[in-house]
Amino acid sequence: MINKLIDLFPFKTFLILVLSFYLVNLYAAEGGPCKDYGECDNFKYSLNDIESLQRGAATYINYCYGCHSLKYSRWGRVAKDLQIPEDIFFENLVFDKSIKPGDLMTGAMSEDSVNWFGVAPPDLTLVSRYKGDDWIYSYLRAYYEDSSKQYGVNNLVYPNTAMPNVLLSLQGNQRLVCKDIPILARNGGEKRDEYGDTITKEKCGFLQVEEGTGELTKEEFDTLIYDLINFLVYVGEPIKATRERIGWYVVFYFLIFTALSSLLYREYHKDYNQ
Amino acid sequence: MSEIAGKLFSWLNTRLPIVNTFERHLSKHPVPSKVNFWYLFGALASVALIIQIVSGIWLIMPYSNTEEEAFSSIEYIMRDVDYGWVIRYIHTTGASLFFAVVYLHMFRGLLYGSYQKPKELVWIFGCTIYLAMMAEGFLGYVLPYGQMSYWGAQVIISLFGAIPYIGESLELWVRGDYYISGITVSRFFALHVVALPLVLIALVFLHLVALHEVGAGNPEGVDIEEFIDDDGVPLDSVPFFPYKVLNALVGIGVFMTVFAIIMFFFPEGGGYFIEMANFQEANPLVTPDHIAPVWYYAPYFTMLRAVPDPLGGLIVMAAAVAIFFVVPWLDRSKVASIRYKGIYSKIAITLFGVSFLTLGYLGTVGVTEVRKIMSVICTVIYFAYFLLMPIYTKYETTKEVPKRL
Repeated sequence: MINKLIDLFPFKTFLILVLSFYLVNLYAAEGGPCKDYGECDNFKYSLNDIESLQRGAATYINYCYGCHSLKYSRWGRVAKDLQIPEDIFFENLVFDKSIKPGDLMTGAMSEDSVNWFGVAPPDLTLVSRYKGDDWIYSYLRAYYEDSSKQYGVNNLVYPNTAMPNVLLSLQGNQRLVCKDIPILARNGGEKRDEYGDTITKEKCGFLQVEEGTGELTKEEFDTLIYDLINFLVYVGEPIKATRERIGWYVVFYFLIFTALSSLLYREYHKDYNQ
Repeated sequence: MSEIAGKLFSWLNTRLPIVNTFERHLSKHPVPSKVNFWYLFGALASVALIIQIVSGIWLIMPYSNTEEEAFSSIEYIMRDVDYGWVIRYIHTTGASLFFAVVYLHMFRGLLYGSYQKPKELVWIFGCTIYLAMMAEGFLGYVLPYGQMSYWGAQVIISLFGAIPYIGESLELWVRGDYYISGITVSRFFALHVVALPLVLIALVFLHLVALHEVGAGNPEGVDIEEFIDDDGVPLDSVPFFPYKVLNALVGIGVFMTVFAIIMFFFPEGGGYFIEMANFQEANPLVTPDHIAPVWYYAPYFTMLRAVPDPLGGLIVMAAAVAIFFVVPWLDRSKVASIRYKGIYSKIAITLFGVSFLTLGYLGTVGVTEVRKIMSVICTVIYFAYFLLMPIYTKYETTKEVPKRL
């Protein structure tokens, strides 16, 4: 009798129940890596855009390299990969004339840095790999004015960051502002009052640049940061573009290999399985 | 010319059992004629082992096992060594895929009763291989000397400290220092590249010798030795070469395609194969936000966390691995394959599979209240699968096993 009942046991339904229990119970929202900024902005690298990488390298060397070394990367390799002729590269981007192409980019920072910032500025060769490109892309655009801080700025992505906003003159003065945001109804539309006007609620924490205070427009600044992060993605893994290019050939090779071996297998399979 | 070659071969063959061994273990070795894809993972595991050994040998050449240079030598391999990145990504991807195929291979064993008499020793050698792999994987993960290498090792080695009386001295003895340092790295290097690979190769050899002695299984759980032809060859068998080899070749093709896709397009495996924190050099002063083991240890890590007491956690974790060894004596079923076992066994193995995957997931994320409860439930299910096995396999109705494949 019991065995009869067990045979009736809906095995597939049981499986689905177990799986759905699993999905429902495990999902729990966690604070993202971009902290007060909310979701990190999505960064899509384009390592075949050599001009973007060149602009990024120039920005890095002009604005970042003074404090942040790239100690696993070599000068000559960057020049070669970014298709910059070595003489032009060394003329314009390498300020210490004793440096040779094979040298590592060990930085130009003096020993005093710990006293200035409280921490030594980290090496950034691999920053795109341990922080993620989305994170840096958001971080560099999330500075805002905060007079309580040593350098007058704070950051939404990395609250109380030790780094001053080096690009302030380009970006302009970014502030946290409040805005009136429409309240959403349950059906997803905006809530309206009896006169048909949208009901709003004041919400704070939005970043806004004070117009005319920076040398670049918002779009120009975003492009500058894009190029910079693109360069950091490159320097984090110089062979990334090559890897993705070669990958197609290797995958294609193994697909052919699989196809041919399965044809051969089927042929031999006939021997014992008529 | 061919006459000389023939003479040389027969000279060799009279002194070394070349033809005999080849025939016994390859060309004439009988394997069941009908198996399914679950029976490919053993071959894939040996492919993965070879990949790890070969890529490992090339990684040793430029790697430096000192505290100062370990991390930067990895970046040197990634940047300055010609195709060093290929070798390194082969090794990191290979490690994860090795574990993946071994887990599937073990699950196959549980599904089709590949541990039942007379295959107990095959199973036990297999479990020992798994144990050695866990140690090998852990030691290897420390070598790049990134943040996760350092703090992962810190957590794992401190587990030894939970053992009463000898714990602290054992911890010190394993580490070779009062904290993880270059001394730890260089001894782990020696164990990772010499000691454990030797153990692994020896165990794999024994695993295969024992397997060839008792014969490979099949998803029906049929004993193919019962019906043999005049030469003593089982009727439901085919020679290993070329039939089984060709079958495995298709599996290898699929495996290598997956391998190449991961290695060339997702070498970090979304942070599961190479964790992001490991791109930062080990820093004893800064703890990473959350310390999580690589995915293949995650189920056991969750069990460790599920128990509040460190010693209790250690015991539960050790028991979870050790319990595999006694499975041949826990299963009291008359049939081997899940196809002919009863409904209890089917429910049990499903729950076991789900709880194992859940434990794995929980080990890679932070702890919340719900997850804590889930990890306790799943740990209980995990052990219940094994501990109740003597009961549910004995008292369920099994189906009739056919005589032939």
